[in-house]
Amino acid sequence: MTTILLGPQRFTTTVGATVRALDVDGPIAMVNSGWEERESDDAELAGHLDGRGVNLRLYRRAFELLRADHGLRAVVLDHRSRHDELRAFYGLRLQSAWDTVFSVRHRTSRHGIGEGAERSALQALRDVDDWYAYEVARLVEQTAATDAFRGSAALATQRAEIAGLLASSAAVVVAGGHVGLLMETLRLFAVSFPASTPVVAWSAGAMAVCDPVVLFHDFAPHGITAPEVHDRGMGRVRGLVPLPHARRRLDLDDRERMAVFAARFPAHRLVPLDAGTVIRLGPGSTDADGRAVVPEGTRVLTTAGTVVTEGAA
Amino acid sequence: MSTQARTARLAVNQLRQRLPLDGPAIDRFIERFGCPIIEGERATFLYRGDVDEVWVRHRVVGLPDPLPLKRIGESDLWAVTTVLPEGSRVEYQIEIRKGDQYERFNDPLNPRLAHSPMGSSSVCAAIGYRVPDWVAFDPEARPGTLVEEQIRSKALRRDQPVQIYLPARFNRAQRYPLLVVHDGTDFLEFAAMKTVLDNLIHRLDVDPLVAVFVPPRDRLKEYPNHAPHARFIARELVPLLTQRLPLFDTPEARCLMGSSFGGIASLSTAVRYPGYFGSLMLQSASLVFTDIGFDHGGGPAFDPVVKFVNRFREKPSAVVDRIFMTCGVYEPLITPNRSMVPVFRHTGMKVRYTEARDGHNWENWRDRLGDGLSWIFPGPQKFVYE
Repeated sequence: MTTILLGPQRFTTTVGATVRALDVDGPIAMVNSGWEERESDDAELAGHLDGRGVNLRLYRRAFELLRADHGLRAVVLDHRSRHDELRAFYGLRLQSAWDTVFSVRHRTSRHGIGEGAERSALQALRDVDDWYAYEVARLVEQTAATDAFRGSAALATQRAEIAGLLASSAAVVVAGGHVGLLMETLRLFAVSFPASTPVVAWSAGAMAVCDPVVLFHDFAPHGITAPEVHDRGMGRVRGLVPLPHARRRLDLDDRERMAVFAARFPAHRLVPLDAGTVIRLGPGSTDADGRAVVPEGTRVLTTAGTVVTEGAA
Repeated sequence: MSTQARTARLAVNQLRQRLPLDGPAIDRFIERFGCPIIEGERATFLYRGDVDEVWVRHRVVGLPDPLPLKRIGESDLWAVTTVLPEGSRVEYQIEIRKGDQYERFNDPLNPRLAHSPMGSSSVCAAIGYRVPDWVAFDPEARPGTLVEEQIRSKALRRDQPVQIYLPARFNRAQRYPLLVVHDGTDFLEFAAMKTVLDNLIHRLDVDPLVAVFVPPRDRLKEYPNHAPHARFIARELVPLLTQRLPLFDTPEARCLMGSSFGGIASLSTAVRYPGYFGSLMLQSASLVFTDIGFDHGGGPAFDPVVKFVNRFREKPSAVVDRIFMTCGVYEPLITPNRSMVPVFRHTGMKVRYTEARDGHNWENWRDRLGDGLSWIFPGPQKFVYE
């Protein structure tokens, strides 16, 4: 199984060269539903793929499907509404738990209590993430089990068509954009990339193929400032959390903040994906637990709050 | 550098050293420096004309009003220099006296104007003031649409006109928060609010939202704690929009906003329907109160306001979750606004309060929209990774 994660493609475009280096023949499936209604503005992307790109049009398909199938639409709207509410409660709990970690770290400890308190505060933060992930998974299961979902002939037809296109593709590219909508369309159409088909993904696309999807923006004007788990990803790459635009979106100079961010996900490597980044995860790039082993040269955010290059002396 | 040395170096003082002045020399001076002349934290206002007296008229609390200009030598050029701290923005006019005739108008030497329902004024922007870049039309920003409607109101016993803003890419398969804007027509006309919403949503600073712009008919009657107005907003307008549009039907997704008396209309509506709205955006709200007696100095129009605010202060209660408050430090309402912050906070409501070196005017309220709306309805920046 080959998966290649790239940095943002807007100014440093490497997707064309990366796909050519795969040396595969045949159509390249394009997933760019994260571009929302600009999904069809894909000429530039198709050009990078030497005209071999076949757009799966997941956004357009979802739009038309939900317009025609009122039962399905009601279920999807209900799912969104429940997910929004869940996110709101998660945000409240998360921000408090996140702020608490820093309060505990800053408190003077004269009798050695501080270290244990910090460990416990960090665990409480992870517990909030786990609660949210559990509830999201439950919500996804409930939605998938509805009659509208299981009984929709139109949805089944679309899913089969997409699966057919993927089966006949030599590779898949997954572009960036709105990661929430990208995940929603991937899930609606039960998209699964065949293990033998190479996948090249960047920005939001890279987040979607990993697991979990973690949202972050240290410089957003307002809202929940802590990084947030949003959803399960596709899990094609496990044990890795991509951080697209890390230099622009993360306060990398704030070592303490970065250290807490990394420590919050002990089973994952947090990998900045800035312009020009290429992380190739080929066959054998996993450990015994199936977690990704990043190649040498990969930049990783550590629990010391610094970004280090894997394998560097 | 000493204050004396700084003053000596002001352009107008250097001009004074070249007396007597002829017409062409004054022309060249005005052409070179414009008006007002901003030098560090000082502003020099000029007027040219054959008059007996000249004043700058303004509403900046702390500066003398009227602010007299002095004739330079025997010329027809008049000037006055005043302190103007960094980031300030002041609206003003020129008043002249010729014999027993007084006249007031915008500064003829200053092309920069601000507009309001009361007319226009000249604008003096100090060093460090910048119009936010999300105020101007951005061709990249997809425009939302404004739909005009008449809504039959039993509470108001009339057809109430409103303008409904639907964000770009409005989609019935999504749900949106609702912003109710008092003095809606003025916010659109004098605070460029449609352009601002288009831009802030495009930049992902603000969540795509539906806004309803509501103009008053009799503002002084309807805005200071008026039961029919509150009933119209909370029991007619919002339910109707929630029924017809894909809106989140929760208090957290509903915000009332307004400036000046519109702020009182927002707060008093929330007080009459506690828990129905999640947030308020109060800009230079007319939160006038008295601690003893009733001598508030605001005139009869403020009587119902003071009654309402005094009553609220006697028994403050949490009527929404969050309040974004802003006020200009140069307006008389700065003290009541500052005083109300701890009162609101004490109830448990979360309050974000900001001040600006500006006055009681529409461009001040426009400039604060980015901070306020992105706090109340944060945009989806965290979701987008291009």
